[in-house]
Amino acid sequence: MNRQELFLHADRWFENQRWKPFSFQKETWTAFLQGKNGLLNAPTGSGKTYALWIPIVLDYMQQTKNYTKPASGLQAIWITPLRALSVEIKQAAERVLQDWDVGLTVGIRSGDTSAAERARQRDKVPNLLITTPESLQLLLATKGYDKIFKNCRAIVVDEWHELLGTKRGVQMELGLSRLKSLSPGLRIWGISATIGNLEQAMQVLLGPDSQAYNNAKLIRANIDKKIRVNSILPEKMDAYPWRGHMGLHLLDEVIPIIRKSKTTLIFTNVRSACEIWFQRLLEKYPELAGDMAMHHGSISKETRLWVEDAIRREELKVVVCTSSLDLGVDFAPVESIIQIGGPKGVARFLQRAGRSGHQPGKESVIYFLATHAIELIEASALKKAAKQNVVEDRTPYLNAWDVLVQYLNTLAVSDGFRPDEIFREVRQTFCYQAMTDEEWNWILNFISRGSQSLQAYDEYKKVEVDDGVYKITDRRTAMHHRMQIGTIVGDATMKVKYVSGGYLGTIEEFFVSRLQPGDVFVFAGRKLELHRIKNMEVLVRAASNSKVNLHASWMGGRLALSAQMSELLREELYMADNIASPEMQALRPVFSRQRKESIVPDAGQFLIETFKTREGFHAIFYPFEGRFVHEAMASLLALRISLLKPITFSLAYNDYGFELLSDQEIDMQSVLDNNLFTTQDVHADLQRSLNSTEMARRKFRDIAVISGLVFTGYPGKVIKSKHLQGSSQLLFEVFREYEPDNLLFLQAYREVFEHQLEEGRLIMALERIAGQEIVWKQTQKPTPFSFPIITDRLREKLSSEKLSDRIARMTASYLKS
Amino acid sequence: MNFTQLAGHEFVLHPSGAAYWPAYNMLLVADVHLGKVAHFRKAGMAVPQASVMGNFRKLDAVVSFFEPGVICFLGDLFHSDLNREWELFESWIAGMQAQVILVAGNHDIIDRMGFLALQIEVVSALVVDGIWLTHQPDIYRHHANICGHVHPCVSIRGMGRQRLKLPCFFKSDSQLIMPAFGTFTGMYELFPTGTDEVFVVAEDEVIRVS
Repeated sequence: MNRQELFLHADRWFENQRWKPFSFQKETWTAFLQGKNGLLNAPTGSGKTYALWIPIVLDYMQQTKNYTKPASGLQAIWITPLRALSVEIKQAAERVLQDWDVGLTVGIRSGDTSAAERARQRDKVPNLLITTPESLQLLLATKGYDKIFKNCRAIVVDEWHELLGTKRGVQMELGLSRLKSLSPGLRIWGISATIGNLEQAMQVLLGPDSQAYNNAKLIRANIDKKIRVNSILPEKMDAYPWRGHMGLHLLDEVIPIIRKSKTTLIFTNVRSACEIWFQRLLEKYPELAGDMAMHHGSISKETRLWVEDAIRREELKVVVCTSSLDLGVDFAPVESIIQIGGPKGVARFLQRAGRSGHQPGKESVIYFLATHAIELIEASALKKAAKQNVVEDRTPYLNAWDVLVQYLNTLAVSDGFRPDEIFREVRQTFCYQAMTDEEWNWILNFISRGSQSLQAYDEYKKVEVDDGVYKITDRRTAMHHRMQIGTIVGDATMKVKYVSGGYLGTIEEFFVSRLQPGDVFVFAGRKLELHRIKNMEVLVRAASNSKVNLHASWMGGRLALSAQMSELLREELYMADNIASPEMQALRPVFSRQRKESIVPDAGQFLIETFKTREGFHAIFYPFEGRFVHEAMASLLALRISLLKPITFSLAYNDYGFELLSDQEIDMQSVLDNNLFTTQDVHADLQRSLNSTEMARRKFRDIAVISGLVFTGYPGKVIKSKHLQGSSQLLFEVFREYEPDNLLFLQAYREVFEHQLEEGRLIMALERIAGQEIVWKQTQKPTPFSFPIITDRLREKLSSEKLSDRIARMTASYLKS
Repeated sequence: MNFTQLAGHEFVLHPSGAAYWPAYNMLLVADVHLGKVAHFRKAGMAVPQASVMGNFRKLDAVVSFFEPGVICFLGDLFHSDLNREWELFESWIAGMQAQVILVAGNHDIIDRMGFLALQIEVVSALVVDGIWLTHQPDIYRHHANICGHVHPCVSIRGMGRQRLKLPCFFKSDSQLIMPAFGTFTGMYELFPTGTDEVFVVAEDEVIRVS
């Protein structure tokens, strides 16, 4: 068939389905069949899956005479970041294959795939393979992997925006760099939702200045989606809480929305909020019992799949969920979305909004439920964002040595590698484009000699060099490495099971450690009584109607407002008095309370509040720049103050401001007189503050795990995460003392700068503050603005005092519990 | 440095984590965990090789400070199976004037013969003047006990949400638990009650906090 005939074939099929191909789909088909690589920018539910499955199959039909006959060998790979999506993608492919009578098989390979199925796949690899970035790496860790990929003609990386800017994305870059050499006929395609840096996203996927990138096309679906944002507001405004109470005071307001929609998804930011909302809805509206479900990442896979299916079958009225339902899955019956608490990023919010009203042209409606007063400003800003189509960038990683170390070990585990060949490939990736020869040699030396020069008494053993080939020959080392492949480092989890059998999901060890047998907690929407803990399993019984002690909670990372979002938020706040939106109206009582002792700053003012409580002396600063900038500014300021005199700080931050708390009073006048907000020496001062805080140490924890410096243990075997944490912390100290030039150690500091502190944004914020009038209010009590910050328990510390001086003042009180 | 009394005897607590018993000119050292670095490196985890020397430097410093007649290791002197760090230990012992005794711990799985060849006496417990020296905490009848094994630390808290977790000497009425001497070891938190005395090791000082 020529291309014309192929297209006709596809068009006819679309007609039979009573669909009409979108122009972006046809554009993608053409580009693919022309042999191009590319990036398709299309939202979920737009038919992006068919935009790429169809040309993959058409290409096969064109290449193969008897395409109805069973084929052999891997033809195409579809990478998805979420296992939950793979079933859907498989069904889409099978539909095409069946209708066209093409003899290709489709298979899924992920962490959920059974050992038996894996073995079958080893003997006979599926022609079309749907898999995750981690499972792709595992394939690279099998002997003779080059033969698997030899005839592969296409790889599609779905939801590329989710991978970009993470170490999983780097892992993908490395995997692709290998495949390019192994499969000469390979076409590489990415699919991405709208982000600020789409062109760069394509460059990262294909490699800058690469052949692949020079023969590539960026295709935009340009599907305009109308999004309406409604705030859920209480009847009476006076009683709005100052700090988040999960928004439960608005529980009743949610019910009418649920009643009038076919299906409603309620998004919470964290899993614990998801559990609590589910439980409270059930308690207050027991009639929802059969029509309600919960979905989050720690619930068993069977339950999650069941929930997803039930949504499609329109059997559920309401689902309380977390980001686990953010991606991909296409749920036509969903009519309403409710977001509980600030979503922090515009892209995330819009994506959630897009979960409703899937039919083209239909308006998406999202309800925003602010959990505390200040979040109402966020609601107002989000409305604006939805109107202006604001989107964020995803910043890709550079020189992520930990991922490179893991990748090289992976290659060493399978067939071994020759450095020259791999160096050329790795240097073509975006992440390692600026890697020097010295750095490469350091990495090679690290994996083969543990970053030492050859010494007689050293027994380091990992990668061995045999005739120029780097190889791991020790079977135990190889097995350890295979178990550790991956770049997502989480807290150790334990399985939750009924005593009578039946698996409910996983829970973090830190939560379990707070429980005693007999305690009742809520998990997976059920009241459970802890029976006992055995072999990393938490055995439970259904609790009789007793009092609940605890709701399951998970550590999870905290989200921070993006730069764009913070700017919108500031604008909203600074114009607070002139905006007539219902949210701002609702804020009036809080604002007047704030004004009693302090002010609501306008664009020309920078507010500082100081007051004393039983806890000590508080100083709160309000730049409204988002959590990351506040983290940086707090460290910077704390360091600069600590240079004036020995002092110890506890730092807290949220998206609106930050707090310096101390047992000594801060001399604010000298802070202002000494111009401590200057942009001079910001970099050097930040660097110094990093040595006094825990930030780099925390980054190092992930780096140590990813690069294999610490072993996280055998699945199911008891190696406590405390042990892992402990040893990565010990390692950090040991490196600091004995090997401060270790690239992995230095990477921890670099990551804090590049991915956390956002130095560039910090300097801009300081420049902005320089132009503002500083308003310092000494108040008698905490103000409404300060309240959410001073009650935050996640804190950083910084000290310039001698340890013994601090201890002398601390001896009085002991930590009980 | 600091001092404490146990069963009528005075002990000097040194910021290295070692304790000195003047009456018997004896240095007590618990949980050095030699060989741990080599053990990790052998398993492909690239802990800096140079850190091996840390423990020996620390030992040298405390020995030359007290010049003890007897050095008693309270268990877990070696972390694991025989590795090259043993050779470094051999040459360290060769330069040692004092008598060396090892109260064997759960990690000391190296052949006793190896220790004996270095003229180190290996025992499972030692009684000196009514005080039991053991690796694991062990209250035998009414005897006082000095031990290691636990790697104790305590958390202390102060104004301004200050919190510190520090290794410590943990002394109850009839027992002294020593902090781990080794540089590459973890900690386990203890909670003092009643008459317990806690001495935290803070940089170059030993400070009583309870």
